[in-house]
Amino acid sequence: MSKKFTYPVLLILLISIILNAFSQQAHAQGATYTVKGRVVDDKGSSLPGATVKVEGSTQGVQTDANGTFSLTLNKPATLVVSFVGMVSKSVQVSAQHRLIDVSLADNGKALNEVVVVGYGTQKKSDITGSVASVPKARLSELPVTNVLQAVEGAVAGVTVAAASSVPGTQPTALVRGQNSINASNSPYVVVDGIPLTKSGGSLNDINPNDIASVEILKDASATAIYGMNGSNGVILITTKRGTTGKPVIRYNVYAGLENIAHILQPRTGAEYIQKYADWWMETYPKNPVPTIPVPNNTELPNYQAGHTIDWIKEATQQGVMQDHNVSISGGSPDVKYFVSGDYLKQQGVVKGYQYHRVSFRSNLDVNVTNYLTIGMSSFITSNNYDGGRANLLLATAMSPYGNEYNPDGTYNIYPMNPEQLYVNPMLGLTTDQLNRSVNLQGNGYAEINFGSWIKGLKYRLNVGYNYLPTQLASYSGRAANTPLGQASETNTTTNAYTIDNLLYYVRDFGKHHIDFTGLYSSQQRRYWSTTGGATGFVNDALSYNNLGAGATQSSGSYSDRYASVSQMGRLNYSYNSRYLFTFTVRRDGSSVMGGNTDKYGWFPSAALGWNISQEDFLKDSKFVNNLKLRGSYGKAGNEAISVYKTITTDGTVRFPFNGVSTIGTQAGNLGNSNLHWESTVTANIGADFSILNNRISGTIDAYKSHTYGLLLQESLPAITGYGSVFNNIGKTANQGLELTLNTRNIDGKDFRWESNIVFSTNKNKIVDLYGNKQSDVGNRWFIGQPIGVIYDYKMVGVWQNGQDPSKQDPGAKPGDLKFADTNGDGKITPDDRVIQGQTAPKWTGGLTNTFHYKNFNLSVFVQTAQGMLKNNADLNYADESGRRNTPVEIGYWTPTNGNNQFQALTYTNTRGYGYPRDASYTRIKDVTLSYVVPQSVLSKIGVSGLTFYLSGRNLYTFTKWIGWDPEQSYYTRGTSNSNNNQAAFAADWTNNYPVTRTVVLGANISLK
Amino acid sequence: MKKYSIILGSVAVALATFTSCKKNFLAEKPYSSYSPVTLTDSLGLEASLVGLYQYETGILTYSGNQGWPSVWQVGTDVANATGNQQGIEVPYYNYAQLTSTDYGALYTWQKYYGLVNNANIIIDAAPKATGSITAFGKKTIEAEARFFRAYAYNTLATLYGKVPLILHSVTGPKTDFTRTPLDQVNAQIVNDLTFAITYGADLNPGTKNTNSLGNPVSRFNKYMAMQLLAEVYLRMGKNDLAQQQAQAVINSGKFSLIQSRYGVVSSLPGDYYSDMFHYGNQRRSQGNTEAIWVLEQENPSTVVGGNVDNAQQRRVWGAAYYQISGMVLCDSLGGRGIARLRLSNWVLYGLYPKGDIRNSQYNIRRRYYYNDPKSPKFGQQVPFTGADTLFRICPSTTKWGQFDPNDTFGYAMIKDFIMMRLGETYLLLAEAQVKQGDLAGAAASINALRTRAQAPLVTPSQMTLDFVLDERARELIGEENRRMTLMRTGTLVDRALRLNSNDAQHPTTGLTATNLLLPIPLNEIQLNKDAVLEQNPGY
Repeated sequence: MSKKFTYPVLLILLISIILNAFSQQAHAQGATYTVKGRVVDDKGSSLPGATVKVEGSTQGVQTDANGTFSLTLNKPATLVVSFVGMVSKSVQVSAQHRLIDVSLADNGKALNEVVVVGYGTQKKSDITGSVASVPKARLSELPVTNVLQAVEGAVAGVTVAAASSVPGTQPTALVRGQNSINASNSPYVVVDGIPLTKSGGSLNDINPNDIASVEILKDASATAIYGMNGSNGVILITTKRGTTGKPVIRYNVYAGLENIAHILQPRTGAEYIQKYADWWMETYPKNPVPTIPVPNNTELPNYQAGHTIDWIKEATQQGVMQDHNVSISGGSPDVKYFVSGDYLKQQGVVKGYQYHRVSFRSNLDVNVTNYLTIGMSSFITSNNYDGGRANLLLATAMSPYGNEYNPDGTYNIYPMNPEQLYVNPMLGLTTDQLNRSVNLQGNGYAEINFGSWIKGLKYRLNVGYNYLPTQLASYSGRAANTPLGQASETNTTTNAYTIDNLLYYVRDFGKHHIDFTGLYSSQQRRYWSTTGGATGFVNDALSYNNLGAGATQSSGSYSDRYASVSQMGRLNYSYNSRYLFTFTVRRDGSSVMGGNTDKYGWFPSAALGWNISQEDFLKDSKFVNNLKLRGSYGKAGNEAISVYKTITTDGTVRFPFNGVSTIGTQAGNLGNSNLHWESTVTANIGADFSILNNRISGTIDAYKSHTYGLLLQESLPAITGYGSVFNNIGKTANQGLELTLNTRNIDGKDFRWESNIVFSTNKNKIVDLYGNKQSDVGNRWFIGQPIGVIYDYKMVGVWQNGQDPSKQDPGAKPGDLKFADTNGDGKITPDDRVIQGQTAPKWTGGLTNTFHYKNFNLSVFVQTAQGMLKNNADLNYADESGRRNTPVEIGYWTPTNGNNQFQALTYTNTRGYGYPRDASYTRIKDVTLSYVVPQSVLSKIGVSGLTFYLSGRNLYTFTKWIGWDPEQSYYTRGTSNSNNNQAAFAADWTNNYPVTRTVVLGANISLK
Repeated sequence: MKKYSIILGSVAVALATFTSCKKNFLAEKPYSSYSPVTLTDSLGLEASLVGLYQYETGILTYSGNQGWPSVWQVGTDVANATGNQQGIEVPYYNYAQLTSTDYGALYTWQKYYGLVNNANIIIDAAPKATGSITAFGKKTIEAEARFFRAYAYNTLATLYGKVPLILHSVTGPKTDFTRTPLDQVNAQIVNDLTFAITYGADLNPGTKNTNSLGNPVSRFNKYMAMQLLAEVYLRMGKNDLAQQQAQAVINSGKFSLIQSRYGVVSSLPGDYYSDMFHYGNQRRSQGNTEAIWVLEQENPSTVVGGNVDNAQQRRVWGAAYYQISGMVLCDSLGGRGIARLRLSNWVLYGLYPKGDIRNSQYNIRRRYYYNDPKSPKFGQQVPFTGADTLFRICPSTTKWGQFDPNDTFGYAMIKDFIMMRLGETYLLLAEAQVKQGDLAGAAASINALRTRAQAPLVTPSQMTLDFVLDERARELIGEENRRMTLMRTGTLVDRALRLNSNDAQHPTTGLTATNLLLPIPLNEIQLNKDAVLEQNPGY
């Protein structure tokens, strides 16, 4: 118990010490006075790096990471506050008026705003590609453990999906639709210039508090510089860095409660009894009344006593979430630093689930000489997903009359004995589970400025190295229905390095601006895993801590290597800031490509831009403040197949002879040594605009992409002895439209209302598969249709008593599902399956409304995904209907109720019907109410910035879906997905977990 | 000077980082997998052979669809699906649902072609084997692989008729297969088996745990190939050749019918027929002198990799007696069954003559006694009431009984599979004799089993193919793949409808001559895009 609170207590202690030190310092000042203030934009967001100058003097400072500043003066003065792209403001200050909040308005040109692009930064006005920045407001004051959770619905063209809410799970992201059928469609993630993707790390390793900006590169012009990794889009994350000025200590904290957002309620005792009676009557029509009213003898005493158990209540708990973050940043003109420490703790809503994370980051920039700058961005993150867990699916399946405990207080293994299929949902809690990962990443750079020799020439070396050990251990003993005791341990190590050599040449010749970037880079990753297992322990005392104490031992290990080499050149040219031109080309080589190929690929792209508002005829327009047209065309690649896919390998198996385990081998993967990249060519046109005195601004993009040479897992006839082989065949296409709109609806002095609207739609289709324009029905891939479609029988109801199915569906009986005879041949055959819809949303959108009243801000974010179908596994309990409890919401047919929506309890789904249903939803995703404490109050307590907020997440969902949640994957008993096999949140039935509603209270405090 | 030091410095750094330019930097070597090209010496080929046993056992122990063993029994003459059916077996009694998308037909097809491919890899590599291996050694390796290939093709030909005949391993995508005429498929099976008989291991006399080549006794021996060849010849109508092979197995002197009690439970209640099916007694080395081919299984908690998938036979065949109040799971009642199928009334009430040991209480359990000492009715017989008889105390074969006190739920049955035994050799012989009109010979063959079973002897005038098939059910119930036997002999439609068409719960419906072959899986037809894989008539 005490250990749990050590971190926050330490942090608070640290804060109070620092706070004391500073208040003493403040008292020491004499005749002079200190002006303190905070510079914000018109949305109330801090503006770090704004310049505050004393008019008529050389004195001045820059605002820190929180937008705050402090200046010591000896007489009344006028301060000029300026920031690139904003209208400057002058403020009078004096000893009496020395606490100020300055709000700067956008000058509408956003000319000098700098945006992070691949291998550098660029002025926003110079960008020719499609680059979306995640709104800064989404990067703070939200209770998220992974930055992608904040991106969901907030950026046009980026579809984030959270398939699970298990604490510590990562959402998946998809940029501009699915290009690839079998290969990965995940965007490439780069943090501070060093790729996180393919290094073994995950976004869970990046503390959202440390993130300064997130940019998403979408079109070929923006992504082509990542060549083989670019075709699925690129997410660039930049962490906060120190700025010149006094140290700022910042403490961000939130804590709150988590609850299940929606429960698929199991049947009550009476409903359960009725269901069993109905099942029995259908199963044994000749003996229509069950021997006893409950399925199993051991349920009888509770039934007779009228005693029921709420298993959902037993298996769940109050979720709690808290995060503490302390950062210190500051620096001199030559040395700038940002250090941060964070402690996150999440206790899940299902018993046993938890996640906690400790992370430290240190970002440093040092100007060693006037031509040499070095720096580093290093972090260590420790993720902990430990704990034996209760099983939600089993909890929903338990009889309300089951017996949870034995007389001695231990968990009863079979609550409905002799029913042994469904064990006690709590058994997992008696197991020991260790599940940890550490990511230690050291990234350094050195930059040499040749300016004194060749003006505008710079060389930069980026080196990233990471070390990523993970540890999994588990022990299951007698109490968990493992009478011999079973232990296992898996340790893995990933080692990766990236070396980038970069050459920059930036020069203006009159009105001509040239910006060249050249790259030579290599990357390598090594992976090792070792597993040990043992069974047959004398007792459970040693848990997984002594595998040698188990009678039967097993072990295994695995190792692989990945390497790539890249060269890239990019030339940006602009004339008079009006006409913009970008040309890039990249050449990549990767080890995963086939041995028969040269393993290299070329990826060129070009883009044009026109800043129309810079032209004379618009320069002074009152209506149009900013207008830029962009167009790009280029090719990016996708190598995303895993290692060794090009090599035919054999697997090893074991088989016993005379009681001796013997090693055997079997045909495994069929390799294809001709494999090379899949390529995506994208054309993009877009416009950035701002009108009506910047009341309405936005971006619109339209794109069309073609992917060819698809890395397709071609299913083979089983006659070959293999299931499939990877091949460069097939073509897909995507086209879509993205719109982002920011409006200032009401712009009063005390009250302001702003909206942000994000809309995107993507149309995905398969153009060709095997070169003959033939669909692959076996894989459910159809030419002209999206990659993910539901191809199934069309359910039109349920066969009722009195109806005669013998002609259309001879095997059917009343209570069976009735399918449409779509081809009209009078019979239900596999040919009656039709395409019923797509599995990806047809469109997604987000709407943020932000209201400001004096120092109060209220932000309401609603997110929606529409037009997708999803198979609903919950609608079919197959042969288990008579043996388990089922949800009330999922009804069933009986001869008397004539239900036309749900099948009979005894229905056997021999056709493999998947129960596709509409999974569209609209969610009130985030509501945040914040209060910025005014400087006049802060000065009295010696604090330079303080914001309180109350934030709620997943507050309500509108949907027709029957189930726990339309967005989440929910698995039927026994299913597992080994592709997603970090045991902490393995996508399998033992980790079914509901969506949670989170409400937290938080504070951001900064001290100077 | 400073300029030069900058340049020098950066050149040095750049050079240091360019060392990754090495030519093999992008080369790929799988550190943790073998590949066919690394398994070409005798040890590699031996391991590949072991893989075949594991592969075949994987098919038998498949648990992805728990009703899998039922597919081969329900909707024939011997069994019916109960209320505890799983799903995959439904089209095998409700034949209207047996269509080209049937999963059972697809799975069988996929797995046996997988077995063919694994055998082909060895057959391709054996003649070119590297290292110190004799010419004869290469032949024995090839013989073992060719037995498995023949076994796979015989299964495919029996179930699907003519099938594509693939004799070399595939090294790249191929999608232009066509069905080979059945005569050619059969000829290849005969060729493979003849080779396997010529070069296969012999058995040592007695119950040694190795064969004549020094391999474990449950590895390939030539009698396996002879028994299979007898069955293949019967299917081909070459009854005289079938008779030769069956006779040769019987005359080899290496096998004898179990006629007295033996082994690990010989002091417990039971009889010598039930002894043979008790785990610990099933292998030749454990005293089972009838065993020709046994696939062994071990409890994985004591032998790593001891079992393959989670065998469902016990659960499918065993009664769910423990669901009755006053009954608890126990070893002597065969552990935990759930009766996904139930023996047909024809088997239970019409098949066995009085005194037949194969129908004793120890072999087909028909009576249950309350066995929970806490029950007031302890020791009394459980009465037959209502639906209980349909799956809870339905009479069931004890051949798959097995109990592990450390795993009472017993999702996996840990038990050997007796693939071939001498009892069946007599039945193959009798079938060959009947088909040649040698009724006296057939009666003598049947009587060899009847004598052992303490059942009334038969006369030549009783001998018909149907009688032999009846006797197969009496002797091999639970063991034989009944569906395959009836498909092989073309008697499925007649026997299933005549003897077992009106089950109260899941009657057999829609069965026609079409079902004497399974459908070619639609998935296969569609994936085979460069040639037409013709469908069987009626599907």
